Amino acid sequence: MKTRARLPRLVACGATLALALSLSACGDGNGGASSDDGKIHVLVYGDATNKVEKRLVDTFNKTSDVKVVLDTIPGADYQKKLQTIISTPQAPDVFFNWGGGSIKPFVKADLLMPLDDFIKKNPELENKFLPSVFNNAVVDGKPYGIPMRGTQPVLLFHNKKVLKEAGVQPPKTWDELLDAVDKLKDKGVTPIALGGGDVWPTQMWFQYLFDRVAGPGLFEKAVGGDKSAWESPDSKKALDMIRELVDAGAFGKNYDSVKYTNGGSVALVASGKAGFELMGSWYYSQQLTDHKSFAEKDLGYTAFPSVAGGKGDPANVAGNTNNYYSVMKKTKHPEAVAEFLKLMYSDDFVKAQLDIGNLPTTTNTDEFIAGSGTPEYSRFQYDLVADAPSFQLSWDQAYPQKASSDMHKAIQQFFNGQLDTDGFIQAMQALPTE
Amino acid sequence: MTTKITSARPAAGPRNGSRRRPPASSATKVGRPGFAWALPAAVFFALFAIVPLIMVAVLSFMSWDGISSPEFVGTDNWSRLMDDPVMFKSIWLTLLLTVLGVAVQTPLSIVLGVWAAGNQRNRAVLSVIYFIPLLLSATAVSVLWRALLDPNFGIPAEATWLFGDGNLFGEQATAIGVLAFVSTWQFTPFHTLIYQGAARAVPQVLYQAAEIDGAGRYRQFFHITLPQLRNSMITSMILMIVGGLTTFETVLILTQGGPGTDTTISAYYMYDKAFKGFDFGTGSAIALALVVAATIISLVVVRVSGYDKMRSTMEGVS
Repeated sequence: MKTRARLPRLVACGATLALALSLSACGDGNGGASSDDGKIHVLVYGDATNKVEKRLVDTFNKTSDVKVVLDTIPGADYQKKLQTIISTPQAPDVFFNWGGGSIKPFVKADLLMPLDDFIKKNPELENKFLPSVFNNAVVDGKPYGIPMRGTQPVLLFHNKKVLKEAGVQPPKTWDELLDAVDKLKDKGVTPIALGGGDVWPTQMWFQYLFDRVAGPGLFEKAVGGDKSAWESPDSKKALDMIRELVDAGAFGKNYDSVKYTNGGSVALVASGKAGFELMGSWYYSQQLTDHKSFAEKDLGYTAFPSVAGGKGDPANVAGNTNNYYSVMKKTKHPEAVAEFLKLMYSDDFVKAQLDIGNLPTTTNTDEFIAGSGTPEYSRFQYDLVADAPSFQLSWDQAYPQKASSDMHKAIQQFFNGQLDTDGFIQAMQALPTE
Repeated sequence: MTTKITSARPAAGPRNGSRRRPPASSATKVGRPGFAWALPAAVFFALFAIVPLIMVAVLSFMSWDGISSPEFVGTDNWSRLMDDPVMFKSIWLTLLLTVLGVAVQTPLSIVLGVWAAGNQRNRAVLSVIYFIPLLLSATAVSVLWRALLDPNFGIPAEATWLFGDGNLFGEQATAIGVLAFVSTWQFTPFHTLIYQGAARAVPQVLYQAAEIDGAGRYRQFFHITLPQLRNSMITSMILMIVGGLTTFETVLILTQGGPGTDTTISAYYMYDKAFKGFDFGTGSAIALALVVAATIISLVVVRVSGYDKMRSTMEGVS
């Protein structure tokens, strides 16, 4: 039965394409049907955070004539679904995104509303947010997104017990990290856990190291379309350092068979089979869910080590800056949308986000951290982000979405030795930048 | 002249023997359903298979990122695919996985199917257990095996003598091995079911006669059971081939085409191009090539095997 169902399924894929095509063809003339019902549709990534968004929507609807409807799409499908409906009448008025490259194609297709008019009327929409975060949704000099949810810097986590037994301090410099790798290896543990099966955790090593070695300028150039950036001496130096780390056995031999998303690498650290893991700030709540007593007792965290002679400020951060709400140009209720966006810097929003472990990026977040669930950890993150001269958005979010698959392939291949330095450089140069 | 024609007729007779039909009588016409009966199915098929297929064909000559309006680019997508090393690699990998699937699953499911057709003790219970993998969705099966094969906490960690460092998904050969194994694990029950039914349909008189002639169990299997399963074998193999050519979920969840592009089979490459790279034109071209290839291969199998002539497996019975 299953076997036979496959061919039709393939055709059904085609049908989806064809259907979307016909919709986009007729979508231009008659405008958005969905926005005609006197409501604003807000599309968000479906996950646990939705409960905060639902509460905000309820609050808003109590006083507003134009009601907001919250539509959620389960996480893994979000980007694909958004791409399919965004140019159809089913497109929402406001939608969740990652800023950077994730909205560039929409800006280019003239689908998004620049928010400078909103900001002119209400400057707080801009100056209530940390500038390094707000600027990540600026495309061609115009703001296209208002920060929502929390910031997600990538941190170097470790198992305190394992490090102690091996006589290792959390490393502050790259050399200390290499030294720690040797010591942990001697103890028979995998120095660094890596969910290479998902590839994006592997990418985190690249984006941080490139930033430390070359500073944010190199990647900025590359993503701006200057492909020579990839063959610069700094780029090669960063690649050599990654090579050295992999060859030193820092990640063991089977990292490509390990996944973060099925809890594999998370369990490696929690069970003491590995010392470190580089991961986004959501790691803490993940460990808290999967391995509660470990997270409470032995989970440590530090910033990414500095690199001697590197051009990047050791205070620079990489990761997901934040998520953003962007507004569709075709919305029939821009005033109501502007009112709704004001909620994103309200005290209520900040408190609610902190309660579920997210770290909002408003300027007043500071005041509420002490009263949150994990004040110490929230404080560490907040200071890290607030003091960071630059916040490098994850490479696969900074590049246009269509580049991410090829980028992941190149990163995985360089890491496991299938591509050499030149091969990797060529692969990165072949990525579309717009 | 007339003699020539009449003499030609008997010669052609035996060759077309199977085409002989009884003269159409009013009685047979009454029982035969008219075309109208097929209309709902035909409309449904046209709407959900033919029309999209045509649109995909059209799309394969266009450049479309899913946002802006599609642009006609002629044969650009096709010629780019022709120069694409990953495309050729994906075709080769697809064929390899298909052949592996047929080669492993066919003997296994014949043996299991024939066994399950018997009347041994506990047979029914074991058959039900064997059948379970088919009841799970390919997604669930893939997630399950991905977890079971985790190098640090799964089976490889317990059996290091067999798996070494357990880097099953990090190397091409083992990653393909896992893919072949997982689809075998999932789909063998289905083909076993086909063979079980077919083996039950083999007339018992054949075995009785063979027994009188002194044939043992193995001779009975190779000289009666196996030849009698011929048509089922072809049915099952066509399903395996078409299934193999369009394998998708297992690759999506188990390997994501990796490491690198080492398990990027054509169907996954289509997904990768269309839905991850937002290049729907190229994706459509790959999809269309797959449909054409699967159709041709099925037709060839049907032709070569003589399945289309429906040669009876009842020879020598009546």
